[in-house]
Amino acid sequence: MRPVAGTEPLLEIRGLVKRFGGLVATDHLDLSIQPGEIHAVIGPNGAGKTTLIAQLMGEILPDAGTILFDGADVTRMPTSARAQAGLARSFQITQIFPRFTTLENVMLAVQAREAHGIGCWVDARRDATLIEPAREILAEVGLASRADRISGALAHGEQRQLEIAMALATRPRMLLLDEPMAGMGKDEAERMTSLLGALKGRETMLLVEHDMDVVFALADTITVLVYGRAIATGTPDAIRANPDVRAAYLGEDATA
Amino acid sequence: MTRDRRLLFIFGLLAIFALLPLVASALDQEFYIGQVRRVLIFAIAAVSLDLILGYAGMVSLGHAAFFGIGAYVVAILHWHADREVLLFGLVPGTTSSFVTIPLAILVAAALAAVIGAICLRTAGIYFIMSTLAFAQMLYFLFVSLRFNDNDRAYGGDDGLRFPGQTHVLGVIDTDNTLAFYYLVLAVLMLVLFFGHRLTRARFGLALEGIRDNERRMRAIGFSTPRYKLVAFVLSGAIAGLAGALLAFHEGYVSPSLMHWTRSGDLIVMVVLGGMGSLFGPVAGAAMFLLLEKFLPDYTEHWMLVFGPILVLVVLFAKRGLIGLVDRRTDETRGRH
Amino acid sequence: MSVLLLLEQTLNGLQLGVTLFLIAAGMTLVLGIMNLVNLAHGSLYMLGAFFAASFTQWTGSFALGVVFALAATALVGLVVEQVVMRRLYARDHLDQVLATFGLILFFNELTKIVWGPIALFVDVPAVLSGRVELVPGAPYPVYRLVVLAAGLCVAISLWWLITRTRLGMLIRAGASNREMVGALGVDIDRLYMLVFALGAALAGFAGALAGPLYVVEIGMGDAILIKTFVVIVIGGIGSIRGAFVAALIVGMVDTFGRVVPQAIGLPAAVAEMAIYIVMAGVLFFRPTGLFAARG
Repeated sequence: MRPVAGTEPLLEIRGLVKRFGGLVATDHLDLSIQPGEIHAVIGPNGAGKTTLIAQLMGEILPDAGTILFDGADVTRMPTSARAQAGLARSFQITQIFPRFTTLENVMLAVQAREAHGIGCWVDARRDATLIEPAREILAEVGLASRADRISGALAHGEQRQLEIAMALATRPRMLLLDEPMAGMGKDEAERMTSLLGALKGRETMLLVEHDMDVVFALADTITVLVYGRAIATGTPDAIRANPDVRAAYLGEDATA
Repeated sequence: MTRDRRLLFIFGLLAIFALLPLVASALDQEFYIGQVRRVLIFAIAAVSLDLILGYAGMVSLGHAAFFGIGAYVVAILHWHADREVLLFGLVPGTTSSFVTIPLAILVAAALAAVIGAICLRTAGIYFIMSTLAFAQMLYFLFVSLRFNDNDRAYGGDDGLRFPGQTHVLGVIDTDNTLAFYYLVLAVLMLVLFFGHRLTRARFGLALEGIRDNERRMRAIGFSTPRYKLVAFVLSGAIAGLAGALLAFHEGYVSPSLMHWTRSGDLIVMVVLGGMGSLFGPVAGAAMFLLLEKFLPDYTEHWMLVFGPILVLVVLFAKRGLIGLVDRRTDETRGRH
Repeated sequence: MSVLLLLEQTLNGLQLGVTLFLIAAGMTLVLGIMNLVNLAHGSLYMLGAFFAASFTQWTGSFALGVVFALAATALVGLVVEQVVMRRLYARDHLDQVLATFGLILFFNELTKIVWGPIALFVDVPAVLSGRVELVPGAPYPVYRLVVLAAGLCVAISLWWLITRTRLGMLIRAGASNREMVGALGVDIDRLYMLVFALGAALAGFAGALAGPLYVVEIGMGDAILIKTFVVIVIGGIGSIRGAFVAALIVGMVDTFGRVVPQAIGLPAAVAEMAIYIVMAGVLFFRPTGLFAARG
């Protein structure tokens, strides 16, 4: 399923600005993402990619501009409310629950999307309504055999897979993936790429990545960010051919 | 295996508590019943603290405030009933425990809601310090409360002794050592049961998630301030209940109950017993209070030893008594 | 309230403020740079007072007494840092709270053993015991002015140290980004040790000066600890400037809080609560204090 042009964008960013003292991290950014699209954001270090995700998720509030998710203005909404509205995020530096088992990590994510109350007298760790969906997700990302391991003891690549699993478990409308390949070896990266590839078309994604192989393999659209400003947006081929992009960024990466 | 050892430890402890008064009575050592009853009351307070400290990771140095206010509610209502003076010029005092105990719980919960609402806006060190400061504020309030500028209200820092015989639940005379003991034990077991169900349920799982990685919890959709506030209020309410029981036990209340060092004592009890285990703090309370009671008989300067012991425990034996029982390092086991 | 009374209370407030600043400065530095909650900081203040009392008696000179007390307290701080604090830097705050709580118990008891359980009274040194009329008709104790001046001197020296020296630069960098300082190749262990010793010296100095003003007793550390926390929360962790401003605020509020409410008919209980009400207010609008050094 390819993104259908002409439909309402799922995520729309208009004129987003963020300054840290004298530094402009996000410079009047406009971006829009269609449902089903995989939209990659690339750029040199310091381009403001992680700041962008932080603003989309509500961990940082922008100085100006609007963020519209599914038509609703979420610019100032608290993080947990955005997650409830269907935005899910994976972190560049792994953020899991290290003292919980792998399965329990995902169970928490499953629990998050259901009603929040105090009255539940069922033992959560034996609750099938949490366990079954969690097991499914673990199987999907390839961590089924690791379900009962303490997540803090998992290998780095496995923890990155868990990151994705947790994001998926909340059954999001859109995924914000912050460098899912970070710190991965070749085999792990291949596994992650095929995992994300399997999600292509099903999940709408904003993908921030440095690994160009992955970006060109997965993305429907690429935006190039330099010093907080989008210098080019287009299909992978268009971006590859774009002279400004070559000068600013791709020239550094021989893999393109 | 580990789970069974833990259960054995817990049931063993509870069995000892259940049988102890009978044994003590038989041996004519009734003094100890009162001592252990005091341990049980503090155990309730320690368990309530474990809920936020051990499970949600909230280091509150102000927990004694809720403990103390529960005690004062009972004492004040009794005082007003005895003097036949209206509280705030409106409310008559009462010695009916059907009113005083629920009110103690409610007032403690309300106080926790207010203090929580302000302190939970902060995190980390700020949270620790602000809870500490609010508890001290309450301490000073009771030390310096006055009627008409001159009369110290409710005893000031001398404390308040409240009059006469008291009955709990209309039937149990607090002077009846044995009956009151079993009532307190019953309350402790009820609190443990309720706490156990709660911490095993989704709410407890969420609290532990907050302790492990609050940022992640928010990112998956949990409104963590709400969870923390609910836990804080619940924990404060139970501490208030313990305070009410203490008032009946001692027949006396004083602002020192709310002093921040009392909060420190409670934290020590929780950690000594094993935080995040709910049952550990019961053992921790026992150990702390019994040490506090009997060590001074050996040396006047027991604090000189206790202080460094505490430091050593923190540095090397962090998981407390429950940790000694568990002795688990198995990575694939999963947590209980 | 008469103008003279106002002046007197203002000076009192400022003097309390600088005393609080001396204690809070050390604590906020340790918190900001080493991320260490040290409940026993009040004990250092207490030790400073007791040391000063003893040394003054032995040497017959208050000035010498203060100097030796400062040195002795710094030494105690060094020992404590090496033996206990060093192991706590990597621990979480709960561990630090518990361990330093244990230290308070230890120091309180140790003080009781060495100096006895009774409170000590230290006389204001004769040469400073007069009163001076800053404003005609309003005599004010010379000693309090000396304390105020000493505190301001220290504050200025600290400001100079922090903003104009290399050590100060490291301290500022450390307060906002610990990892960076290590990456710069600085000997972290020594830096931490110096910072802690500096904090101890400041607290000891405050305690030594406080002797003639307040009673020298075992509980004095605990009592001042809370007010110090209030100062740090209001000022923001890791910020010397914040500690200074907040200490003056707290000093003034506490001082006037004892006088004003009764004058305008509020119950006396408000006096004690005044600084906490201010703290609650600040926290409500700025949960990380007025000048937090770390983002």
